[in-house]
Amino acid sequence: MANLIRSQRGRRSLAQSRGQGAVVEYLAFRLGRDTYAVPVTSVHEIVKPPLLTPVPRAPSFVLGIISGRGRVVTVVDARRKLRLEEQPATPRSRVLIADAVQERIGLWVDEVLMVYRFGDAEIERSLLGPSGEMGDYITGIARPQDDASLVVILLDVKALLT
Amino acid sequence: MSDTLERARAEFLSEAEEVIETLGRDLLLFDESMRGGVVDPDVVNDIFRGVHTLKGLSSLFGATKLARLSHDLETMLDALRLGKLEVDRETIDHLYRAVEVYQQLLIAEKEGRDDASTALEDLLASLRGGKRAETRHPELEQFDIDPSIFAVLTEYEEHRLRVNVQGGVPIFRLRLSFQLATIDESLDQLKSAAKPHGEIITYLPTGAGADADSIELDILLASKSSHAGLQALFGPMGAQVTEIARRAPETDHPRDAAQKTRHPPPLLPGVPDDSVHISSVPPAHDDGGFGRVDGRHSIVPDARGERGERGERGMTSVRSVTQTVRVDIQKLDLLMNIVGELGIVRSALDRLTDRIREVTRDRSLIGDLVRLNRSFDRQLEAIQQGILEVRMVPLGQVFERLSRVARQIGRDLDKQFNLIITGSETEVDKLIVEELSDPLMHMMRNAIDHGIESLAQRAASGKPPVATIALNAFQKGSHVVIEIEDDGGGIDTEQLIAIALKRSLISPEDVRSTSRKEILGLIFLPGMTTKAVVSEHSGRGVGMDVVKTNISKLGGVIDVQSDVGIGTKFTITLPITLAIIRALIVEVQDRTFAIPLANVREAVALQAGQTFRVDEQEVMTLRGSTLRVCRLATFFEIESPSIEQAKKQFVVVTTAGNTRIGLVVDRLVGGQDVVIKALGPSLRGVRGFAGAAELGDQRLGLVLDTPAIVEELSTEGRAKPAPQRRTVG
Repeated sequence: MANLIRSQRGRRSLAQSRGQGAVVEYLAFRLGRDTYAVPVTSVHEIVKPPLLTPVPRAPSFVLGIISGRGRVVTVVDARRKLRLEEQPATPRSRVLIADAVQERIGLWVDEVLMVYRFGDAEIERSLLGPSGEMGDYITGIARPQDDASLVVILLDVKALLT
Repeated sequence: MSDTLERARAEFLSEAEEVIETLGRDLLLFDESMRGGVVDPDVVNDIFRGVHTLKGLSSLFGATKLARLSHDLETMLDALRLGKLEVDRETIDHLYRAVEVYQQLLIAEKEGRDDASTALEDLLASLRGGKRAETRHPELEQFDIDPSIFAVLTEYEEHRLRVNVQGGVPIFRLRLSFQLATIDESLDQLKSAAKPHGEIITYLPTGAGADADSIELDILLASKSSHAGLQALFGPMGAQVTEIARRAPETDHPRDAAQKTRHPPPLLPGVPDDSVHISSVPPAHDDGGFGRVDGRHSIVPDARGERGERGERGMTSVRSVTQTVRVDIQKLDLLMNIVGELGIVRSALDRLTDRIREVTRDRSLIGDLVRLNRSFDRQLEAIQQGILEVRMVPLGQVFERLSRVARQIGRDLDKQFNLIITGSETEVDKLIVEELSDPLMHMMRNAIDHGIESLAQRAASGKPPVATIALNAFQKGSHVVIEIEDDGGGIDTEQLIAIALKRSLISPEDVRSTSRKEILGLIFLPGMTTKAVVSEHSGRGVGMDVVKTNISKLGGVIDVQSDVGIGTKFTITLPITLAIIRALIVEVQDRTFAIPLANVREAVALQAGQTFRVDEQEVMTLRGSTLRVCRLATFFEIESPSIEQAKKQFVVVTTAGNTRIGLVVDRLVGGQDVVIKALGPSLRGVRGFAGAAELGDQRLGLVLDTPAIVEELSTEGRAKPAPQRRTVG
């Protein structure tokens, strides 16, 4: 028991010594022209867009429902939540099946990119002011070390539904 | 290890729950029979056994409070069945309270906390203060019974003998011999045959027997039936019936020498002598209708059949326990889901067959495929049906709880009423029974608190002082109807309107154009209560709206009828099962919807120009009566300009409660069994859909919540002018 704690501490200090803080893996995807990401652990599955059933009277950001392993999954269009430009579906479009607050939701994305590892220190959180509506869904902004020109916006899956 | 323990504990809790429920049921029977003046000793015995079981179980699992209560109750019940304790209202009240305390303790036990309430201590204290009955000893010895019999009667048997002798019931002796191999079965038969005619006091082996494979028993039966009648009944079983003379001057009546040498321990029901079971020899002879189980039912008169079965429980309990399996409802849900998925596989196979038909001319191949599909279909349906049946439980489960609560409330509010329950045996899905409990409880409170008038009021309006509340259940097609009816004061619609106006739930203009039925419907709106004083039991204004919501969630409808001074009747109509429903698949524009067939009355073709407007509402004439129609495309705002409206449309006539509405769709696809799945919480606010179902083409279809749509349309029609609709036709 004690050993375990020590080894964990050891690992963290190693990461900290590199100036990264706790490292988390993020799955990056493209919405419109921007790159967004959510923690890999929150994503269960990536599926090709199935046939959606639109739900009349549902909020506008709900694209429709699909069947996911016997359950009804609500597919959300983050572009509408984030007021992004909407492109028609392409062969690269995907739906990420992720855990939201009480249910499993589908997140429509234009393209799945890659997995990034960001240390806590690499994530800027101070930028977020009380300004825009978007602040509620965004947990931070990160720049990958190998491509400093790229800005990855980290999303809070749970908040997207509300 | 701890897992096994955990499972055993869960098993204990669920078994205890079951026993307590049975206890409540028996208690009601007991209460009823006591009011009728005759206490059925079997019921007392059943209660005693239940408490005894609980005592054993709870001590085993260290539930000390449950065990203590059981122990004290057992002592009291033992005194009760031996006639040492007088049965009065107080005793019964104690027992009712005991059931409540049991439930409290069980809940505490389940949650793993210590129940801190003093209810247990209070009850235990009052249990000890029961009135002792005077012990009377009539001169049984003057009776023509061999005095040596008394020596072997148990205290209980002696007590029962006394009770019967005191009641002037003649005592008979049946002498017959049993094959050891079939004695259990034969005794069961004899017992159920005897049950309608009287009470078996004891079974005594005479010691004589034709051979080693049989045993002769003397059975003492207290019965009011004639000697001839009993001889006719038991004669065919080989019994010799003798009436034991009353007040015989001499006690040394000639008796068989054999009887005097009978084995000392009496052969008691449920405690068979070891020797009985040793024999594995097949029955020497199969006497017609005696060793057969099915023979029993012809002997027992129908009316008492059920009681007869109950009476035997002590004997057969071991067997029945091993034949019952308790199943977690979630496991059944899982199976149901799998069946649903199989249904999708089936439709896919159908489509595949069609495709194969297009590419091949091989008739026999297609024929085989179709046959295989059909057989698959049948088996699938059988599985589906089987699972649905397993989920079914009788409504009696919730009715019993309800009558206990009703009794309690009646006592608290000092209202006198008879609760008449019919149709407890009606079966519905377990989940529905669970979900019904709260709404029914609430309605029962309302009926007692608001419905039934005070004694003075009842006297003034010439009603009998004791009110009546009826709780009826019956099956009606694929639905179950539950009615709660009282003969109380009825709902005062004037008062209802006044309150609704005060709370701005309706406008003064509405009042004039509203029918009586719609006014009564106001009680289902949030915030409505007609009771001036808020009591502990009802009248907080959170009530009927919640009841209605809960029932709608189950796919049910609630209606109310009420006449001032006469009474109120609530009618709940529910589907028997959830999950799988038969639906009518329709298309509206390019969308597919499923309408539960349970809500569909008929579907008729609609020609352009067949509808007209009355007061902003689109209606049509259907067989002489006016039907309001609703264009689903407009209702859901899914009209797409690119899709041309079909020339010929269809009207699906749906019903919800007593309201009919015609839904206009573009195409009828056909009937289909669908498994309804709930929409996610994020879509909970979207009204009009009961869920989604896989329709077989890999796309989900929305299942319409017709009652909600009908309701929305009718409220919209009343509360605000209908929005301008597109021109008709």
